[in-house]
This record gives sequence, structure tokens and C-alpha cells, in this order.
Amino acid sequence: MLIGNGNIEALAQGAPVIESFGTDELQLEQVETLQVLCEIQGAGTDSLLPPALHPTLPPAVTWLVQRVPESPWGPFGLAQCRIECRSGLRPRGFLRTGVIDNPQAAEALSTRWGYRLRAGHVALDRGYDRVRATVAVEERTILDLAARAPQPLDPHDVYYVANMNLADSPHGLRLVQVDSAFEVERAERGSPIIDCFDAGAWDSEGVRPSYPVSASFTVGRVTLPRLRYICRPDILAFEGTERVDT
Amino acid sequence: MPRPFTPGVERGVFDNALAQARLAEELGFDTVWAVEHHFLEEYSHCSAPEIFLAAVAAQTSRIRIGHGAVVCVPVINHPIRVAERAAFLDVISNGRLEFGTARSSTWTEIGGFQADPDATKKDWDEYVRILPRMWMEERLEYHGNCFSMPERGVLPKPVQDPHPPLWVTVTSPGTELDAADRGIGALGVASAGFAEQERRTREYHRRIQLCDPVGGTVNNRVATLNFLYCHEDHKFAAERGLLFLGSFGMLNAHLFFTREAYPTSAYQSLANLAPSPPKQGGPGDAVRLPEGMCLGDPTHVIQAIKSWESIGVDEINFLVNAVEVLSNEEVTESLRLFAHEVMPAFSKC
Repeated sequence: MLIGNGNIEALAQGAPVIESFGTDELQLEQVETLQVLCEIQGAGTDSLLPPALHPTLPPAVTWLVQRVPESPWGPFGLAQCRIECRSGLRPRGFLRTGVIDNPQAAEALSTRWGYRLRAGHVALDRGYDRVRATVAVEERTILDLAARAPQPLDPHDVYYVANMNLADSPHGLRLVQVDSAFEVERAERGSPIIDCFDAGAWDSEGVRPSYPVSASFTVGRVTLPRLRYICRPDILAFEGTERVDT
Repeated sequence: MPRPFTPGVERGVFDNALAQARLAEELGFDTVWAVEHHFLEEYSHCSAPEIFLAAVAAQTSRIRIGHGAVVCVPVINHPIRVAERAAFLDVISNGRLEFGTARSSTWTEIGGFQADPDATKKDWDEYVRILPRMWMEERLEYHGNCFSMPERGVLPKPVQDPHPPLWVTVTSPGTELDAADRGIGALGVASAGFAEQERRTREYHRRIQLCDPVGGTVNNRVATLNFLYCHEDHKFAAERGLLFLGSFGMLNAHLFFTREAYPTSAYQSLANLAPSPPKQGGPGDAVRLPEGMCLGDPTHVIQAIKSWESIGVDEINFLVNAVEVLSNEEVTESLRLFAHEVMPAFSKC
């Protein structure tokens, strides 16, 4: 079976630091989420994942762009670039990197849930003809996505996989499972449009979008969870998973 | 199919499967089934099952030929070609065809053919209504949603009268009710526990009494999926069986399911086929087999089959290997032991 063969030392560069696994869950209300999934060219993509994780067939990337209107740190926008994968038997998304526009939120998400983030501008604009997300760092656009001609969808039809975030933890370098709960109130699906993706700016050199698959937009409550599982990045998740909430 | 996919490896696996089909006939098994999958590296390289089944038909004379299941999506298999190929198989096998229908559950396949995920369920419904007419009517004109045709005679006609038994694969809960309403067999491909299977089977048999058959005959059978590795040493069989089951489960879980890639009401579940392991005790406890699996000594296998029989299941389809984790010799010895020790415990044999 396919197994990630990314270099652990390279993947670990710039990994966030989690000082404790004892973080409480956090509910965020009325979160707007645009998710775009796209197949990527296969050559070399196994190196985007650590050996703990398995690539999907075909390999795919998801971009998740969220607008959070209210949080303990004020409103913020968050964009993530994730590689679809499997941890053992479970579907997951391995976070390559994210962009956020609120320093306090960035600090909390990094130190409590292991999000690898950089500062930038995140915009999510909802129109009747499209939902568009743009992300810029140092005034340079690094992502421009849209769901064109969105149509209503049953809220139960949208599926989100949990994050695997690579972080320095009290147990050492670990993949941190962040299985956020989405309670969707409203959902739409549109045609996926990818106008700009700067792979290098997302620490994702080698990711070459090839076949846009889907774009969905939802509004609802997102609950960032208590941490339950972590996993060594260098061995298969079957062997390297540890429980941290006991 | 184990990596790397050299021509020799694929040839070897296909040869083993053909030899196992011949042996199955010799030993008294009822049916050999071949699935249809596309692009599913390692999991299944059976992209042209009608070719494999034609070879099985040519090398056997009694065992029934399970074409299960044909993907009923127009860009993958045009309905006229499906009817022609199935009838041809029925003719060359002298009326031994069992005909399964499906719509595919993975994005790898649906996306690979750039099919519309929203339409697959509707397309399937159109197929199961029109295929029997193509087999039964001398000539047919049809104007539908997923295809149309001017008046033509679809040839050849099947040997079985009025046509081969129809099945649908049941992956998502609720599809067994679709099967019952249409008067077609429920070909279980997702493993369920006894209680859930009993509930589904009871409801299927109740509902099919009221069906509006899509074909010229009703197929009211329920078949389930199981895993077979039979060995005199139960502990050894369970250990080897767990490896076999685990390998299948791992590959199955790694499929890229449509629900994960494309939000739609047409795919409500991830469609995992592998049985769930029972809840484990403390760390270090031995891994246990899911209930009802036919992985063990003959006594264990007989008990498992009797349990399925007691809840109304008519047939069990056994997977006998996955990614060649069992050697061909292990598979054939398992089949022989099953035939000699297990089959006599059941009245039909």
C-alpha cells in the first residue's frame, strides 16, 4: 500500500509548539467555511506526507477557508492547505500550512491545537453567483478560489475530515489529531474554480492542481475539540498512535 | 493485487483465480462471482470481469457465473453493451449467469470516468428497468433520461427464460429496500453484524412480497459477504484469517469514497465494506474476529454459517483472498477442507 515518504526533519521545520494536551474544546458560532477539493498530479506527492500517513488514490488537496465572526480573540479569517490522506483506517487531512489574519487567534490555534500558521490577509466573500476566497501574504495573492453558481445542499451532505497537525508536543514531534465538529445550518455546492495557488507559499512545493472536484460552502457551529489522539510521524499510525485525554 | 504491478504478477493472480474457480466447481460451490472495479490499485484489478467470467464459463460446466456487479453508469458501461455482454455470457455458459448491478461508490472510479455523482442512483434505476426489456423484447425503442435508442433488436437473447436473475449490490443501508421494491436480489457486499443483517433481511422479505418487478421474474434471495479461511487448527486459521481480513479492510478503508470528495445527497455513507472489529478490552488483549466471519476450523465455520442461515440469509459469498496474503495453496486447501467438512453439515449439499 502507499505510504508517505516525506522527510521528517524537513517537515518539522517551523512546526508549532504545544506545551500541554489539556486544552478545552471551543465552540465557534456562525462560522462560514468554503472547502475546495482538487486532485493533484501524482508524481512526488507521497513526499508531502510523513511515513505515518497514507496518500489517497488519486492524491488530492483540500483548501479550507473560514471566516469566524466571533471568538475569544475577536473575529478572524483562517485558510488551510491540506493533503488528503489516511491515518490507519481513517480519512484525514494533513495540514501543510495555514494563513490567519489575527495574531491572538494564531497564537491560540498554534499552541493549543498545533496549527502551523503564518500571518496574512484572508477574505471570504459570499455572493449569489459565487463564493470567493482570496488569501494574500505580504500583499501578494497566494490563493484565489471560488464556488461558482452555488446551489442549496442538505447540510448533512457536506463531509469534513479531521486535521493531522504536525507539532512539537510534550511527547516530542507528533501528529496532532484535530477532529473539529461541524454542525452545519446551511450548505451550498458550486463549481470549483481555482484561479491562483502558489504552492511554495503554502509549504507545498510539488502540489500541482490537476482536476478541480468540488466546492462547498457552509455556515454553522464549529467546535474545536479537546485533544484525544496524537501520533508519531515516523511510523505507521497503527503503531504510533497515543491517547492523550486520559 | 500486490505491488509492484508487473505483468507477471497480474497474470499470476488471474491464473490463481481461474484455478480457484475450476476447483470451486469440482468441490460443489454454487457460484463464482467477479466484481467490476476501475483504477483501484491493489484493491481490485478486475476491470473487465466479463472477460474473466467468459474464461470461467469456458473452463467449467456447472457452476453459476456471477457477473457482480456491473457498474450501471452510462459513461462506464452503455446499457446496450451491458445487455449484449450479459446475454452473451448467458449463452456461452448455457444459462448459468447471475447478473448483478451497481453504481460505484468511489471517487477514484466515478471521477476517473468523469461521471456525474448526482446521477448514478437515477441511472441505475433506469438500467434495471430497461435491461430486462432488452433481453425479453424482440425489438425495442426507448426514450429515457440517461440514454435513448431507436427501434432495434438487442442481440443475442439470454438462454435463461425470461432472463438471468437480477441482483443489486447493497453497500449503503436502505438499498436492500430498493432491491425488494423492484423484485431483485440483495447482493450484500458490506459486512453487517447478525442483528443488523437480521433486521434488513426480515424487512427485505416482507417488502418483496409487495414488489412491482422490474423484470420478467422475481429474484427474492439475500446474499451476504463473508471471508473464508478454513483450517484444521482454529488458532492458526484465525491468525491467518485476521491477516487476510485486515489486509482487505486496510485497502478498503483507503479507497477514496465519493462522499469524501464530492458533497451530494446521492452518497450518504463512506461505503466501507469491511466488518468492524469487536470492541477491544485492555491494551495487550488478543485481537478478536468480527462476529460471523468464517475464519477458523470447520466447527467454527459451520456455526457461523448456521447463524447466518438462522436469520434468513439465503446465500453467502466468500472472499477467499486479498492482495495474495494467503498463498494459492492455502486458498485451495481451505476450499477443499470447507467442501469436505463444512458442506455436509448443510442439507442442500
